[in-house]
Amino acid sequence: MKLNIEGLLVYFPYDYIYPEQYSYMLELKRTLDAKGHGVLEMPSGTGKTISLLSLIVAYQREYPLEVTKLIYCSRTVPEIEKVVEELRKLMEFYSKETGEKNNILALALSSRKNLCVHPEILHANIIVYSYHYLLDPKIADLVSKELSKKSVVVFDEAHNIDNVCIDSMSVNITRRTLDRSQANVETLQNTILKIKETDAAKLKEEYRRLVEGLKEANVARETDIYMSNPVLPDEILQEAVPGSIRTAEHFVGFMKRFLEYLKARLRIHHVVQESAPQFLKDIFEKVCIDRKPLRFCAERLRSLLRTLEIADIADFSAITLISNFATLVSTYSKGFTIIIEPFEDRTPTIANPVLHFSCMDPSIAIKPVFERFQSVIITSGTLSPLDIYPRILDFRPVTVASFTMTLARTCLCPLVVGRGNDQVAMTSKFETREDFAVIRNYGNLLLEMSAIVPDGIVAFFTSYTYMENIVASWYEQGILENVQRNKLIFIETPDAAETSMALEKYQEACENGRGAILLSVARGKVSEGIDFVHHFGRAVIMFGVPYVYTQSRILKARLEYLRDQFQIRENDFLTFDAMRHAAQCVGRAIRGKTDYGLMIFADKRYARADKRGKLPRWIQEHLTDGSLNLTIDETVQLSKHFLRQMAQPFRQEDQLGLSLLTLEQLQSEDMLQKIAQIAHQA
Amino acid sequence: MDDQGCPRCKTTKYRNPSLKLMVNVCGHTLCESCVDMLFVRGSGNCVQCDTPLRKSNFRVQLFEDPAVDKEVEIRKKVLKIYNKRDFDFSNLREYNDYLERVEEIVYNLTNNLEVEGTKQIMEAYQRENRDIIQKNKAKLTREQEELEELLLLEQQGNEQRRLETLQEEQRQLQAKRKSKQALLDELERSHVPATILLAQHKDRAAQLETQIEKQKQVVKTTIFSTGIPMVFEPRAYCPAPGHGWRIQLRTGVSSSHPGCLQWALPSTGLTPQKQRGAQKYEAVNTNSCLRTQITTLLYIGEGAIDRYGWWSKVRPVCICCYFCMILFSFLLK
Repeated sequence: MKLNIEGLLVYFPYDYIYPEQYSYMLELKRTLDAKGHGVLEMPSGTGKTISLLSLIVAYQREYPLEVTKLIYCSRTVPEIEKVVEELRKLMEFYSKETGEKNNILALALSSRKNLCVHPEILHANIIVYSYHYLLDPKIADLVSKELSKKSVVVFDEAHNIDNVCIDSMSVNITRRTLDRSQANVETLQNTILKIKETDAAKLKEEYRRLVEGLKEANVARETDIYMSNPVLPDEILQEAVPGSIRTAEHFVGFMKRFLEYLKARLRIHHVVQESAPQFLKDIFEKVCIDRKPLRFCAERLRSLLRTLEIADIADFSAITLISNFATLVSTYSKGFTIIIEPFEDRTPTIANPVLHFSCMDPSIAIKPVFERFQSVIITSGTLSPLDIYPRILDFRPVTVASFTMTLARTCLCPLVVGRGNDQVAMTSKFETREDFAVIRNYGNLLLEMSAIVPDGIVAFFTSYTYMENIVASWYEQGILENVQRNKLIFIETPDAAETSMALEKYQEACENGRGAILLSVARGKVSEGIDFVHHFGRAVIMFGVPYVYTQSRILKARLEYLRDQFQIRENDFLTFDAMRHAAQCVGRAIRGKTDYGLMIFADKRYARADKRGKLPRWIQEHLTDGSLNLTIDETVQLSKHFLRQMAQPFRQEDQLGLSLLTLEQLQSEDMLQKIAQIAHQA
Repeated sequence: MDDQGCPRCKTTKYRNPSLKLMVNVCGHTLCESCVDMLFVRGSGNCVQCDTPLRKSNFRVQLFEDPAVDKEVEIRKKVLKIYNKRDFDFSNLREYNDYLERVEEIVYNLTNNLEVEGTKQIMEAYQRENRDIIQKNKAKLTREQEELEELLLLEQQGNEQRRLETLQEEQRQLQAKRKSKQALLDELERSHVPATILLAQHKDRAAQLETQIEKQKQVVKTTIFSTGIPMVFEPRAYCPAPGHGWRIQLRTGVSSSHPGCLQWALPSTGLTPQKQRGAQKYEAVNTNSCLRTQITTLLYIGEGAIDRYGWWSKVRPVCICCYFCMILFSFLLK
């Protein structure tokens, strides 16, 4: 259908539209008009992707000078494929409606086999790739350098974007890395000696270039301001390499000294935490390495590898990692911390020294993106509470909005189970984890659910060790046996092959017979990527509140930093993180308006206002006061009632006019009014 | 490190992990006991390369590769002489060339190439640039001290902030507990119906919440980036000077004194002196009622409340305060 959104003609490739899709497109258009950034939360399974694409493509056609490119960033390769499918449908619709051939070029960069499209990027209108191509400074430099300013960047499924930013700027160095780097350095030395004998001119040429201060790869730039490399600020990029690392031998000696220093640092017997300036001071005292040559480490190494014409760069990954670490530690004085641990917390007897150079500030990696591009949209199904993202990513959005699902029938039923039938509180709090009664209550909950819920149930635990403990206890108590009489049980493990096998069999079991139960972990592969549509997931049970491992030193350093810089309390942040994972897990079951599912939060702490308030709006509005702090019996009763209601036939005509609209219905007055109410500004 | 053996008494290192390895100027290692044994006999020659050695030249080995130790030693000595910095040169190119020369010297000395020639170059340089070397040495020590001071200050600042936030949280918890206790006491003792008491308590709790929120938002900065300290003056509602004097009928403006007629007067209209007076004694919160202002004055002890000067220190904010003031001034006269 053809829509008119505040004067813009939008081609929408389906005959029916959801009211919240219209509302979403409206907010999006307003954000683009204001040329600002936006944070939009729309529930999963409501056609977010097609709304985004159709609006931005229409905007591009209407104002080709305002928006030259659309950069769509997604998390995983299957998601990228889905986006490309929708785009194809949209293009077909366009050519059918307008009758003219459209000249929009779309590029998708997914995996290693599909790379090397550099000149085409300059002419493409739509680019689809993964977050890392834009956020990770080492990759962004190569791929996204020439994207113009007047582009719209969309981060889809961006609820974990702060973790992606932090991981891209963090480095972990172990003893093995250092040994491999040592081997690399020796190889470099030998290669240099060899080349000196055969073809000394190459090294001389490189030397001359470094003396003159010319940069490598000076391709003539046709486009305007490109995105700068966040590893090196602009002024430094233009500076020449310092004289102490100009010649190849001096540079190799420099790297040797640096490696020896790192080895000495790793030889400690207690935990050390220090900031980047302290580290630099220490390194200057011990091995007389200055800050400036460290900064140019990565660049100098790249130039050397190119001059020596080393064919297999992958062999030198260890030394590249070290040089990246050197560059990062000398460039940023704030927002990073260095933690050296002689062993891991859980295995205190095994000596495994690790140096964690962790970024505590996600805004460092994403700042260039917000500054260079005129409109950046962050969207996902679970972004609550919405005001935290602008704070931790340090940007000012013009739009912050959360949308709900308009439903003809209430197809989700969130319940908070706080007590067992013996009135013992159910919780995954650390102190009560070993409690026999709590484990038995959890088992009873699963047993009752397996008796009444048809087809598949997915259960999420807070961690692998917790899941193993509970399952072992259940086995001893005989609960597993009873559950198996109703449904089969599959379990997720840290091993990827086993998990995919379990998933496959689970899906097979749901197709035939009485269905199955999948036990998985809240931060695992299943909760991040797999959708459980229709009969694959009729109920999702969240056992406990999925907090991260709170004793980790890196986490503690990060929380301290957040408190000092952004005045975010530690408790608030931990709860926010736990609730967004819980919401992600629970959102796996609903992938559309005809889909329905039970969402069971099995922990008494979910009833508290501070945790409930951090659930996304589209879940919160169905969580009534009467569904808080239920016992197992009450839960079973409510679930039975819900499931029977949902099992009634539900045709599309029932939805028309309420949650599914045709063009005429869309344009009626009261519908437009209702739509205006859907968007809730946070 | 543990898998390295002393080249002389090979077995001793493995058997005794607490034994330290020492390195000398020729770049070869020896364990501590071997060093002692070597100098007991009076002769000081390296085992591997036979160069004459002195006991004082032995240093504890920090790095796995003794060559690196040797290089670091040489580098430190060279840098004591070649300590020019980037501002000593007119452009970046010259500075980089200077750095490269330094590297060449260190490289030659470490690998024992042209040792004599290099030493001569170093001596010549030292003679020519003696005063610059001295100046830079002094500057370096000064800078290091400043850096350490800054780091110390920062650490102290961090500690203080942490303590403050902890204390703040404690205070908030206590305030909440007190208000809950107060509610229970009131319910027990007072004769007012329970619903009204509950409503009052809710109000107070909401006020407390907003106060806490406001405090969280306030980021205390005391100093501008140029170093000029900021003086924070809480200013009441203050229309532009030259504004005419008139009573503004605005209900519910000042919430301080219960029973006060809630009309506010614009401040600048009255008398300029009053304005200036209020400016001087900024400790007095000119937002609150006259009575509170006077009690604050008395408490702070800002000069005696003499008969003629006191009304320059306070400012009436509502109409009943104004009448009170006129009354008092008559009385005191």
